Amino acid sequence: MSEIILRVENVSKYYKLGVLGSSSLKKDLQSWWRTNISKNQIAIPIEKKESKDHIWALKDINFEINEGDCLGIVGKNGSGKSTLLKTVSRIVPPTTGSIKGRGKITSLLEVGTGFHPELSGRENLYLNGQILGMSKKEITSKLDEIIDFSGVERFLDTPVKRYSSGMYVRLAFSVAAHLNTDILIVDEVLAVGDSEFQKKCIGKMQDVTQKSGKTILFVSHNLLALENLCNKAICLSKGNLVDAGDAKSVISNYLNKEKVEILEQNFQLTDTYVGNEFIAMHSISLKPQYNDFNIIDTSIPLLINFSFLNKMLGSDNLSVHVLLYYYGGDCVFETRSIPTVYANGKINGTCLIPGNFLNDGHYYISISFIRNSSKVLYEYTEALVFDVADYREDKSSFGKWIGAVRPNFPVHLEEALM
Amino acid sequence: MDQEFKWEWELSANKKKIQFGLKELWQYRGLIQSFARKELIAGYQQTIMGLSWLVIQPILTTLFYLLVFSRIVKVSTDGVPPLLFYMSGSLLWGFFSECLTSTMFTFKHNAHIFSKVYFPRLVVPISMIGTHAFRFSIQFILFLLIYTYYWISGAVHPSIYILWLPIVILGTVTLAMGLGMIVSIYLARYNDLEPFMNFFLRLLMFVTPVVYPASLIPQSYKFLFWANPLIPLMEYFKAGFFFTKPVNMSYLFISFFITSLIFLCGLIYFKKKELSVMDTI
Repeated sequence: MSEIILRVENVSKYYKLGVLGSSSLKKDLQSWWRTNISKNQIAIPIEKKESKDHIWALKDINFEINEGDCLGIVGKNGSGKSTLLKTVSRIVPPTTGSIKGRGKITSLLEVGTGFHPELSGRENLYLNGQILGMSKKEITSKLDEIIDFSGVERFLDTPVKRYSSGMYVRLAFSVAAHLNTDILIVDEVLAVGDSEFQKKCIGKMQDVTQKSGKTILFVSHNLLALENLCNKAICLSKGNLVDAGDAKSVISNYLNKEKVEILEQNFQLTDTYVGNEFIAMHSISLKPQYNDFNIIDTSIPLLINFSFLNKMLGSDNLSVHVLLYYYGGDCVFETRSIPTVYANGKINGTCLIPGNFLNDGHYYISISFIRNSSKVLYEYTEALVFDVADYREDKSSFGKWIGAVRPNFPVHLEEALM
Repeated sequence: MDQEFKWEWELSANKKKIQFGLKELWQYRGLIQSFARKELIAGYQQTIMGLSWLVIQPILTTLFYLLVFSRIVKVSTDGVPPLLFYMSGSLLWGFFSECLTSTMFTFKHNAHIFSKVYFPRLVVPISMIGTHAFRFSIQFILFLLIYTYYWISGAVHPSIYILWLPIVILGTVTLAMGLGMIVSIYLARYNDLEPFMNFFLRLLMFVTPVVYPASLIPQSYKFLFWANPLIPLMEYFKAGFFFTKPVNMSYLFISFFITSLIFLCGLIYFKKKELSVMDTI
């Protein structure tokens, strides 16, 4: 019987919201006075309710992991997955509760943390490995293996700023894949890199759990990868733990329950802020070009409209990538705008997915903003979620059409003249 | 159903006592080295002069001071050769201000790493100080070479105060790091501190005898000696190389006391806030 290696008890995480400004010092001083001097108020409200100026990103989370388990964490954007991983990996302290564990814990929330563009691949490999908690000796002993896995041995002595983004990710993941740790925490890192390398990474991670009995906590939007890799799963929703157990059942429950439609999002009107210091999303919407009925089926063209605020300074190129995914699965396609220098301010964009192109199914759209064709400034996943229904013009055909797309170039048959 | 086995670690909301985590820090000594190396190498990558900037920088600063303060403003150097006087002043001051500046940006400049991976945050200021200590020692050797030339020619000679040198340098680092650690936490939350600290550092340079001898400080302002722990450190540093007149020992001890107090407060505050500060950045 395997033993418990990590236990999360009543963990909650509280965040203050709002913009820091000239009034924040006054507020800070006031709350410091109230909590420390006059002692008539505790720093954090006990009741875990939503409010305008604070949020409970996690509410009384409890779970345990046994040694050798691979635990998947599913949930929508903003459900607290990343916060949970950050809390468990000691990056932010929990507001209440405790996390107990045994052994060495390593978090991989991003590939290539601490890479310095001016240093060579080899130097970065050491630096990154040491940031992740490996010793120099350990890295040296695994160096050949790591370099071999990355496939960038020819460029090892080149500064990584000259690397293509693919090479960069390969090198970074190779270090991570050879970490010697008891508990590994992985957040969405597999979303980058080409599909061949992704498969290699997933294979490596499977190896890691099955052969060496390491414990993994894994977050991914790719539910297929999650299902393949994990034996256990938990589901978070708005900071609450709503489901836990066997990975397959948790994921299928999640898919059934969360199967929602988001055809329009407007961020200007709400208090929630989507974006970062470079990009702020204004709105994104999907306008089906209906003809007769208000049903999105495979014959309907879909017009995506979006607008965002470009806050990126300097004269760098900006391009926007729109990616369409199967819900809980692989990417169907990616389409890009031409990299151009834009002035700061609001920018509108459109993208038309033609009719007679998508197959029926459940899809989501992500949008990402790229600087100089290489650096991801901001990525908003699951911006739009929608169903495409089956469309049968000709009632005589049966069965589901297979394939990622369902284009309209039929096979023509002709009776040959004898 | 609590199992028998022991947990090896626990992260809890209410930490009872502050641990300095020296053992943990020791485990990360390799990372400290790597960070320091990175800082040193990356700063001079793609430069024509490379590491020789280490030597050029203090020489240029010294020559500049020499021109402005010795030739134009004509400030007394207490009979010390101006070149050595300005060089020694700018050497120790540069070391202090660089250690302070890099420590206070610990959270601000490394937020992207700190939000992704855990390691004891003290690794960053310690490695930064390591880098600056390396630079300082190169520059110090340069200073010693020039000093030896003057010594042989009989213009200057060292005094017994030179024995204080290691402690004076240690005191300077400790003061810079202590101040830096306190500021780093606040700087993560309030950007206003950045222009303020720039102003503060410039001011501090002029109330510290860097480009003028302490003997120029009027008797009525002598309390500055008490208030600014950097002044006795600077004076003892210079007194070791060119003895001009005896320096009151009690000032140095007061400076050590204030320095250790600042360092201890800084360390405790830093350890207490090193993780939660990421919520506010």
